[in-house]
Amino acid sequence: MDASENGATAPEKHDEGESFTKVKSKKSQKRKLEPDGGTTMEVEQPNKRPHFPPISADKLRGSDEMRKVAVPAHRYTPLKENWLKIFTPIVENLQLQVRFNLKTRNVEIKTCKETQDIAALTKAADFVKAFVLGFQVDDAMALIRLDELFLESFDVTDVKPLKGDHLSRAIGRIAGKGGKTKFTIENVTKTRIVLADTKIHILGSFQNIKMARTAICNLILGSPPSKVYGNIRAVASRTAERF
Amino acid sequence: MDLTLFGLKLFPKLTLLTEFNIFVFSSPQDEVAAEFTSLTKTLYDLRKAQEPAGYGGSPLAQLVVENFDEEQIWQELELQNNAVLTHFKNAIDGALSNGNLTLLSDEEMDADKEDERGVEEEEEGATDDENVSEQEEQLPRLSKKSSVEAEEGSDNYSEDDSDIDFDVNALEKQKKDKGKTGSKKKVVPSEVDDKFFKLSEMETFLDDIEKREGKEDDNEDELDYFRDLPSDEDDEINLDEVMSSKKKKTGKSSRDLKYKDFFDAVDNEPDEQQSDGDDDHMDDSQEEDGEEIDGEDDTEEEGDDDRSKASKKKVTFDLSENEDSEGEDIEEILKTPSPEKTELKSSFEKRQEKMSQKIEELENAALAEKPWQLLGEVTAQTRPENSMLEEDVEFEQASRAAPAITEETTLQLEDIIKQRIKDQAFDDVVRKEKPKEEVFEYKKRLTLDHEKSKQSLAEIYEQEYIKQTQKNTEKEENPAHVEIQKLMDTLFLKLDALSNFHFTPKPPVPEVKVMSNLPSITMEEVAPVSTSDATLLAPEEIKDKNKAGDILGDIERTKTDKKRERRHIKKVKRLKIKEKEKRQKVKEANKTGESKKISKTEVAENLRKVTKGGKATILKDEGKDKALRSSQAFFSQLQDQVKSQIKSTKERSEKKKKHIEVSVSKLKL
Repeated sequence: MDASENGATAPEKHDEGESFTKVKSKKSQKRKLEPDGGTTMEVEQPNKRPHFPPISADKLRGSDEMRKVAVPAHRYTPLKENWLKIFTPIVENLQLQVRFNLKTRNVEIKTCKETQDIAALTKAADFVKAFVLGFQVDDAMALIRLDELFLESFDVTDVKPLKGDHLSRAIGRIAGKGGKTKFTIENVTKTRIVLADTKIHILGSFQNIKMARTAICNLILGSPPSKVYGNIRAVASRTAERF
Repeated sequence: MDLTLFGLKLFPKLTLLTEFNIFVFSSPQDEVAAEFTSLTKTLYDLRKAQEPAGYGGSPLAQLVVENFDEEQIWQELELQNNAVLTHFKNAIDGALSNGNLTLLSDEEMDADKEDERGVEEEEEGATDDENVSEQEEQLPRLSKKSSVEAEEGSDNYSEDDSDIDFDVNALEKQKKDKGKTGSKKKVVPSEVDDKFFKLSEMETFLDDIEKREGKEDDNEDELDYFRDLPSDEDDEINLDEVMSSKKKKTGKSSRDLKYKDFFDAVDNEPDEQQSDGDDDHMDDSQEEDGEEIDGEDDTEEEGDDDRSKASKKKVTFDLSENEDSEGEDIEEILKTPSPEKTELKSSFEKRQEKMSQKIEELENAALAEKPWQLLGEVTAQTRPENSMLEEDVEFEQASRAAPAITEETTLQLEDIIKQRIKDQAFDDVVRKEKPKEEVFEYKKRLTLDHEKSKQSLAEIYEQEYIKQTQKNTEKEENPAHVEIQKLMDTLFLKLDALSNFHFTPKPPVPEVKVMSNLPSITMEEVAPVSTSDATLLAPEEIKDKNKAGDILGDIERTKTDKKRERRHIKKVKRLKIKEKEKRQKVKEANKTGESKKISKTEVAENLRKVTKGGKATILKDEGKDKALRSSQAFFSQLQDQVKSQIKSTKERSEKKKKHIEVSVSKLKL
């Protein structure tokens, strides 16, 4: 654009002085340093490698990428409440553009000029997705801050086909009285667990997710919580010892 | 016949014409030409008419000459001639091959004829014409007539087989006589001659071969020596098979042929060995043919005969005991062996001798069996005993070889040992101890928090990260600062109390709370999470088990138990009494000087003892004694008593009067 502008201004100047003067093209002006001037262009020296001038970063940038995260109705209000806390790290730390599309009920995240790291888009999308699944904003923030955290989801029925009361009891076993068992697992394995009816989401590092998953599966399969505590304690201590 | 006569007549006529009017032919003679053509035509037609069916001649039945060019007529004739030529050629070949068979007996002759027909590629039974032509070809040869005459004479003969056969038979007999005489014509004895080999024969054979090679015909009759010979009844016999007539005589298949079928007997005189009459005939005929070859231009068939005959005699299997190489045998024999010259051999000769010796050795070694070292895989059975011990075997080992122990190595080791002892640097085994960790301690390490964690996940990981990266930084408070702060506080508190009306004391400083470092589970839950009997004391630890065993109630006792208890009680009591007596005696012994009054208790004791033993009874006033109730009873009793006493004293006067104790109980009063 700049080049064209300059080129546009050049003939104007000439026009002021004289009419219908020949205007040199910008390209030729640029290549004054070459011995032959404007006449030698492409065909003269085929052996020479083609010369590409360095381009500025904004020209190098491709088109903007976008991610969309759908928000179910029950998370709509929490989203509204925590909106500030959500978009601030995305925009400030990751340099992305984020908006909530009211019509489609999607959170849309887009890269822009200021984005330095293209992987930030994935991180931001995961962060919003984690929040939408039910995690706290602070917990989901860990996804942005740490690279090694992952999100795993599975269903209670995947572990063992349960129906009716058995299913309810299994969910109750996982939760424990007042959420006791769930908190215990969270604390020992350093993960966050969201128990949404029959769906279970675990957030944490890979090893910890595995530990938590094993504990939850044992609970589903019917072990008493005390046994599960003992097991996870043993495993956690072993992993802690190693590091 | 008309044809021939006609022809014969014409020929001189024509020749006459040519003789006298030689210049007539300088210009075209149409009349003569016409005559010629008509003549040729009639000749052709007649010949064609007499031609047997399936002759294989030209397809033209008549020679067409009207309005035909010379060239065309020539072509017609050529057609006929070519066809006939091949026929005649085959006939000749057949005749050549059957040359030997003409001398055989009639049946075989007939068979041969049939074969020949088959050979000549004609399907139907051949006519006598052909036989005639063949026979006639053979016969003149046999009878030493020129072949030209025979061919000419073929037309003259009638078509009578019997005549021909007769002739042939006659000829056969002739042959036989000749054959015997002519067998030994060429044998020139030489030194080399063997049972199988004759030098002169070889030379003649070589000469013949050379001659033959000079005029080599196209080899139609090459023998296939390796082909299997079919049996007699086989109709499809080719020329080659027919040539090898050996099968005919013997009637065997080729697989059963033996040496004597092929070759003469070992002796030099073949006609003495008459194993087969046919063989002999065969031999004779062959010899005869061989003899004739010198004189005539032989056909291939004769050459082959000779070849076979010569090869027959040429067998030189060296069956002698000479172990020398066979090739040298003849040469050695040929050059007259002179006595070995021990004097003055040239250096060249010596070298040659050595070389030859060496060569011999090498050859023998090569031919002999290889030593076991060179045979591939050798087991213990294939090689001599303990032969491997003498071998230096080279092989690869996968594992490291054990170190060879020599004096030097032992000295080295000893040096090391001495040094170690001096340094007291023994590699003693340190006892390993298993680190015993109490469950308590272990549980302390990981406390289970049942509440929702106060920190978010991010913070948790943050703290972990900080812990990992900055382990050693610790904030230490300056103790002087802490003390100053405390003093200041107390001071200000006092000042505040003095200066303010409404003094509100500072809230109490948090005291040091004694926290028992127990796992939170034990603190929180009233009931223990898990109880086990292992912590409780065992009943035996509380109360020792009774030596008697289980405690039994009165009802539970059995008879033995009851008795045991009774015994036990009595024993105990007995012991008590004994102890008491002892004490008593001791007491009495102590107080001997004192009054000897027997105490009431002692009296009672004595009384009891006495009565118990049955020694005395206490007379109780119970009214049991009848004797005391009435006087009569008393006196009667007294009387009785006295009587008995008197009796007893009377009876036992000598005997010492025994102090008879009168026991009340015995009297049963």
